[in-house]
Amino acid sequence: MADVIQPPKDSFQSRIKARYFATRRDTVITVVFAALVAWVLWSLIDWALLNATFAPNAGDICREDLHGGACWSVVSTRWRIVLFGLYPFEEQWRSAIACAVMVAVAVLSCVPWFWSAKRLAPLWVVGFAVFYILMRGGFFGLTEVTEQNWGGLSLTIFIFSGTSLLGMPLAIIFALLRRSKLPWIARTMALVIDTIRSLPLLSIMFTFAIVLPFVLPDGLTGDKLYRVIIGYALFFACYQAEIIRGGMQALPAGQEEAAKALGLGYWHRIGYIVLPQAFRNALPPTINQFVITVKETSLVTIIGFFDVMASGRAASGTAEWNFAVIEMYVFVGLIFLVFVFSLSRYGAYLERRLGVGKR
Amino acid sequence: MPEPAIRIAQMHKYYGAFHALKDINLEIAKGEKVVICGPSGSGKSTLIRCVNRLEEHQAGDIVVMGTPLDDNVDNIDEIRREAGMVFQNFNLFPHMTVLENCMLAPVLTRKIDRSEAEKTAMQYLERVKIPEQAHKYPGELSGGQQQRVAIARALCMAPEIMLFDEPTSALDPEMISEVLDVMVGLAEEGMTMVCVTHEMGFARRVADRVIFMAEGEIIEQGAPDQFFDNPKNERTKLFLSQIVTH
Ligand SMILES: Nc1ncnc2c1ncn2[C@@H]1O[C@H](COP(=O)(O)OP(=O)(O)OP(=O)(O)O)[C@@H](O)[C@H]1O
Ligand SMILES: [Mg+2]
Repeated sequence: MADVIQPPKDSFQSRIKARYFATRRDTVITVVFAALVAWVLWSLIDWALLNATFAPNAGDICREDLHGGACWSVVSTRWRIVLFGLYPFEEQWRSAIACAVMVAVAVLSCVPWFWSAKRLAPLWVVGFAVFYILMRGGFFGLTEVTEQNWGGLSLTIFIFSGTSLLGMPLAIIFALLRRSKLPWIARTMALVIDTIRSLPLLSIMFTFAIVLPFVLPDGLTGDKLYRVIIGYALFFACYQAEIIRGGMQALPAGQEEAAKALGLGYWHRIGYIVLPQAFRNALPPTINQFVITVKETSLVTIIGFFDVMASGRAASGTAEWNFAVIEMYVFVGLIFLVFVFSLSRYGAYLERRLGVGKR
Repeated sequence: MPEPAIRIAQMHKYYGAFHALKDINLEIAKGEKVVICGPSGSGKSTLIRCVNRLEEHQAGDIVVMGTPLDDNVDNIDEIRREAGMVFQNFNLFPHMTVLENCMLAPVLTRKIDRSEAEKTAMQYLERVKIPEQAHKYPGELSGGQQQRVAIARALCMAPEIMLFDEPTSALDPEMISEVLDVMVGLAEEGMTMVCVTHEMGFARRVADRVIFMAEGEIIEQGAPDQFFDNPKNERTKLFLSQIVTH
């Protein structure tokens, strides 16, 4: 097919010209903005790299530094607090492996081969169990480290994965109950979902962390951390249930009818026909929900947990380092950015791959 | 007299206050091929959907292969396994390959092991002449091919009865015959068939009996020759003349 006529290709220069320098006004605007961007970028590079102090334990140098570059020394000195919180220093390798395991679990869940409940569920349960055993110890000759001493990124990961592991099955159950043929079940579920969704997450956390112990009998209160995770999971489940329900409603009625006509029972229809397709339909909002959940974990600081955010603040909160708060926040921000940005890029990739909207 | 494949007696069906089926009495013998026709909205789909409880009837009895259709879930599942159904819109499962579509129900409900189910599925895919499409997804097939897969999928359950609800009316004209050919083949092997269709050539060729419905009632029924050439009821005559003049 050599004789197919190609549209004439604009040269790079002519396109730039047409886009940014078409008129005199365009030219002025372009130049001004280019100068502005260049200045901001240069200042940033100057601050973050050229004039920065990287070496650990260089607080004194930073303090005397007249150029005012970034003091990454606070990060290189105290990064362990950000990642592991108050976890005992000699045991922090456990916390590191635990985090790596959970991150690996999250990455593996993104591989299509794992996309069935039969594979995802064991993956997460085993991953979570390994995480817990490593962190908590008390088995296999590992010294025990109680939840009070967990902190930093590993606590954030623990809360996030606990919320997901508990919240996702709960969301499925909620979505199914809300679709129930018995009106009183469907209505009650709808009421519960809408009520919880209309409450601020903070109030739910306070309820679970602080109010619940007064209400529940002593034996049932459990650790505050787990109550908070349950609160998170409930909140997550109510939003995710609506997302799943949306995915179900997008299914043509013929799908369930065909499954019925083949003699498949309710659970088979749900497990093999309805949910797999509902999740496919609902993939973009589901990933969005995970992104939100990652970010919301930092709310736990308010009730006294040192997640990655609070640990960062603590790490730069000593008299020795209190001038380097910004550097610490940038570091913590970068950690969040890595997680959230890769999640949302992955979501965009999936949308393209599955052609959501096309099929 | 042997037990018929399907027995419907004094059956009524309501959608809310709307009386969709009125006093339906119908016996279909094993191996019999019945074609149901009638104007749009006359209740043809509703009737065959009542047979496998995709719709619930409110009065009367339905017995399929000796199993009464009542609120007993086991009975309903049993009947659904005995009666395969083919829909106008194919309703294949888009997230599974053709082969997986065909294997799913046998593996889950008949507890057949996967290799056995796969063998059966391939057999039926060959029967409907698309074994080479086994590993494609439904979205990659033409309408005619999808409908043939849907037939193969139903046959994999080894049903005693096949119900068809306008299996060719969503198809482009050039694909209709490939689906009808499969259905004719099935009829020749002695399958009990209940088929809602306006393909009158097909009806003449394979039907033992043609049933005409209007406004939720069975108006007239008879052998195809007598039904088409010598209809008794005025509405049947009107309906047939409209179909022919199309
Ligand atoms: N789910 C439903 N709810 C309420 N009314 C319904 C429902 N399904 C069908 N009906 C009504 O019942 C009557 C019979 O419908 P049915 O689909 O059985 O007709 P049909 O003979 O199959 O028509 P067509 O040739 O258009 O498929 C119609 O008047 C229709 O409007
Ligand atoms: Mg119909």
